[in-house]
Amino acid sequence: MAEILQILILGLALGGVIALMGSGLSLVFGVMRIVNLAHPALIIGGAYITYLAFKTFDIDPIAMLPVAAVAMAAVGVVLYRLLFQREAKSAKYSEMTVLLTFALAMMVEGLLGGLFTNTQRVTSPDYATAAFFIGDVFIPKGQLYAGLVSLAIIAALSLFLKYSRLGYAIRATTQNREAAELLGVNVQFISVLAFAIGIGLAGAAGSLVSFVFSFFPAKHWEWIAMLMSVVVLGGMGSILGTVVGALILSVVAAFVGTWIGATWSTLTFFLALFIILLVRPQGLFGEKPEMA
Amino acid sequence: MTKLLEVTNITAGYGDGPAIIDGAQLTIEPGKVHCIIGPNGAGKSTLLKAICGMLSIRKGDVVFKGERLNGLRPDQILRKGICFVPQERALFAKMTVRENLRMGGFILDDKRELERRIDGILERFPILRERADQHAGTMSGGQQQTLAMARTLIIKPDIVMLDEPSLGLAPKVVQEMFDIMKMMSAEGVTVLLVEQNALMGLKNADWGVVLDLGRTLFEGPAATVLADPRIQELYLGGKKAA
Ligand SMILES: Nc1ncnc2c1ncn2[C@@H]1O[C@H](COP(=O)(O)OP(=O)(O)OP(=O)(O)O)[C@@H](O)[C@H]1O
Ligand SMILES: [Mg+2]
Repeated sequence: MAEILQILILGLALGGVIALMGSGLSLVFGVMRIVNLAHPALIIGGAYITYLAFKTFDIDPIAMLPVAAVAMAAVGVVLYRLLFQREAKSAKYSEMTVLLTFALAMMVEGLLGGLFTNTQRVTSPDYATAAFFIGDVFIPKGQLYAGLVSLAIIAALSLFLKYSRLGYAIRATTQNREAAELLGVNVQFISVLAFAIGIGLAGAAGSLVSFVFSFFPAKHWEWIAMLMSVVVLGGMGSILGTVVGALILSVVAAFVGTWIGATWSTLTFFLALFIILLVRPQGLFGEKPEMA
Repeated sequence: MTKLLEVTNITAGYGDGPAIIDGAQLTIEPGKVHCIIGPNGAGKSTLLKAICGMLSIRKGDVVFKGERLNGLRPDQILRKGICFVPQERALFAKMTVRENLRMGGFILDDKRELERRIDGILERFPILRERADQHAGTMSGGQQQTLAMARTLIIKPDIVMLDEPSLGLAPKVVQEMFDIMKMMSAEGVTVLLVEQNALMGLKNADWGVVLDLGRTLFEGPAATVLADPRIQELYLGGKKAA
């Protein structure tokens, strides 16, 4: 029983972080129909920003989170203007962006490799190696903090989307771009904004990831499959879905990892991706084709 | 006569594609109901999309209250006072009726005033009030069309352009849509309607416009258009019954 609780807690904490990693991917897809394969590479960008601040100035990774988020959001604005703005009018937009973001992922990886070499890095604040004990159940502080901060950020994002005027505009554009435009939403601006928020979330996730996982520039290839399966399970474009998808898959992967073997843990995500695409391609909370 | 909106000889199309609209013109007078008729594929929807800024105008002018609208984005044109309800997908299926109305007032800055106007709309349309917290996508076609039309009233626009509001609705419901349109008109909203059913459309309109192959063939008082033998033959199902 204690073992099950133990695995569950570890799975949920990690699931929170994975949810944050996936939320930006989902948001960007929802608003712009861009499948951003470079998303995890940009998370690693955020992780390196955090790593640099930690190594050089001994700044706490969680304290660095807002900085990494804003810095990556700015990167997002530049990337959008450079790469996606012009493509938006093309009929093959979605297909184009898959190739474009694939190339972008490789470029980011190359750039980070040039700057930081391919050595494994990790930030090591005190809490990264500490733990609480509740009875026999041990809760690593680092994962717990990262999970809680992630869920807090996602909660704030959800409130923003649900209640603010810009949030309405983002949701409206996600659901029906044309109708949103006809009601006075500047969908170009909303696209840049959503892209910036999405990449900002990647930056924020990077700060947390920096002490939860060890990372190096090519690590993102491992993550894209994981994030894709999470986002597809939840339903592309749905933030709530991403959270639920991340928590479910992370817990399943934790059980698989403990009971079957660590190498099988990653396979959980690949397998899930296949099964979801076959059985329910729109995911748990995804949009079905819309009404008239 | 005073003109609210004047469309002169415009050319427009999709992307880099061929011109769909070529030589279309329109005269819109304040407070009247205008009806565009024409066969399938004539370019009626395309004309409305060009006026509201969804398509760029390649030639000609769209002048509203003496100001050229060419090149403005849809959100900018809406702020000028021209509201467009497209033929399909006008609503946010996964938003509630109330949220759809809130989006209808997106350009209003005064939140309190917006909520007041939403309450006013719900007051006037009991069908919508009963379903205020229901997702728009779960309503019937007529209810959805009612919401789409009622939603335009939130911002009190000068002109509402309706693209086939009767499409796919039962005859009794179609009459309800025309009643709503008449009510809008009575409130001083100028209406530009596209209608597949020429007879029905013209009977409910003051001014008729006949569009074919992207060109305006004929424009005049609705009664005159209705009575014109060419129109009778082409669009009203053959010889005049009388
Ligand atoms: N999105 C689009 N891209 C390219 N061509 C289009 C597009 N929409 C319509 N067209 C073309 O424009 C022409 C006019 O279409 P439009 O929808 O304006 O006609 P309509 O008069 O509204 O017809 P209907 O009565 O069927 O609604 C058609 O030949 C159509 O194929
Ligand atoms: Mg049409």
